[in-house]
Amino acid sequence: MSRPPGRKQENRKISRELFVLTYGALVAQLCKDYEKDEDVNICLDRMGYSIGIRLIDDFLARSAVKKCRSYSETADMIAQVAFKMYLGVTASVSCSSAAGNEFSLILDKNPLVDFVEELPAERASLCYCNLLCGVIRGALEMVHLAAEVTFLQDRLKGDAVTEIGITFLRKAEDRKHKRNK
Amino acid sequence: MGGGDGGGGDKMAVCIAVIAKENYPLYIRSVPTENELKFHYTVHTSLDVVDEKISAMGKALVDQRELYLGLLYPTEDYKVYGYVTNSKVKFVMVVDSSNTALRDNEIRSMFRKLHNSYTDIMCNPFYNPGDRIHSRAFDNTVNSMMMQVC
Repeated sequence: MSRPPGRKQENRKISRELFVLTYGALVAQLCKDYEKDEDVNICLDRMGYSIGIRLIDDFLARSAVKKCRSYSETADMIAQVAFKMYLGVTASVSCSSAAGNEFSLILDKNPLVDFVEELPAERASLCYCNLLCGVIRGALEMVHLAAEVTFLQDRLKGDAVTEIGITFLRKAEDRKHKRNK
Repeated sequence: MGGGDGGGGDKMAVCIAVIAKENYPLYIRSVPTENELKFHYTVHTSLDVVDEKISAMGKALVDQRELYLGLLYPTEDYKVYGYVTNSKVKFVMVVDSSNTALRDNEIRSMFRKLHNSYTDIMCNPFYNPGDRIHSRAFDNTVNSMMMQVC
C-alpha cells in the first residue's frame, strides 16, 4: 500500500467538525449501550488500541523519524509530532518519576471536546477521550514498548488541564539482550 | 457581573424563549421574576403570530425566506420579536417598549448570537434534540442580553 508520489496532502483532509461530531456520536451511543462508565471507558480503550496498532505504520511512514533512543525521546515524539500530525495540537511533556519511565502529556486544547461543555451528571467518571489512551498504547506496543496510558486530569471533570500519563513497563534493553543471544 | 452601566442598558431584553418545532418551550428566561407567568403567556400567544408569518412567507419563494421575522406584535408595555431557524425552532424575544433606542439591526444581531449559541448546544453529543436546554454557555449568552435587575 505505497502512496503514489505525486499525490498532494490536501486531498486527504476532512472537516474537523465532522470528525469531532462523529467522535461525540460514538461516545453518546456507547453511553446508551452500556450502563456503567467503566464499561464505556474500556470499550473506548479497546477501540483506540485497534486504531493505534494500525496508525503507527502510517505515522512512521509519514514522519520518517529516526529511532528513539530513550523513553523521554519517545514521549516527546508522541507529544510534538504525533499529536500535531493527527489532532493539530501539541502537548507538553514532563517526566514524573525518578526512574525515567513515567511521563505526562499536558494538553492545553483538546479538539475532541470542542462541543462538549461538561459531562452529564450521571456520567461523572466517564473518560471522554479514552480512545486517545488506547491509540497511544496500541501504537507503542507495535514498536515493542509496553506501556500503560491513562488520564490523570481531565478538563471535562473540572481539572485545569487535560493530562495523559504514560508509564513504560518493560525496558527497551531487553530486546537488545535477546538479539545478542 | 459588572453593575448597571447606563449605556449598556439599552441592548437588553426582558424575556427570551426558545420554542421547539412542536411548539413547546425548550428554554424560557425572564427578568422580573414576579411577572414570569405573564411572560410565559405572552410568548405562548406570540406563537400564533409566528405560525402566521411562516405560512405567509412559506408559500412564496422558499429560498428568500428570511430567518428573522421582525416585530410580531406590540403591546402597550412590551414589543415581541421573533426568529425562526430552518429546523423550525423559534426564538422569541420580549423587549420593553420604553427601549426606543433598540434598533432592528441590534435585535437581528442578538438573534444571530442566540442562534449561534443554540447551534453549539446542538453539537453537544450528550444533548438530545427536543430536550430542555440546560447549558451554562447558553445561559451566559442569554444573561448578557437580559436587563440587569439592580
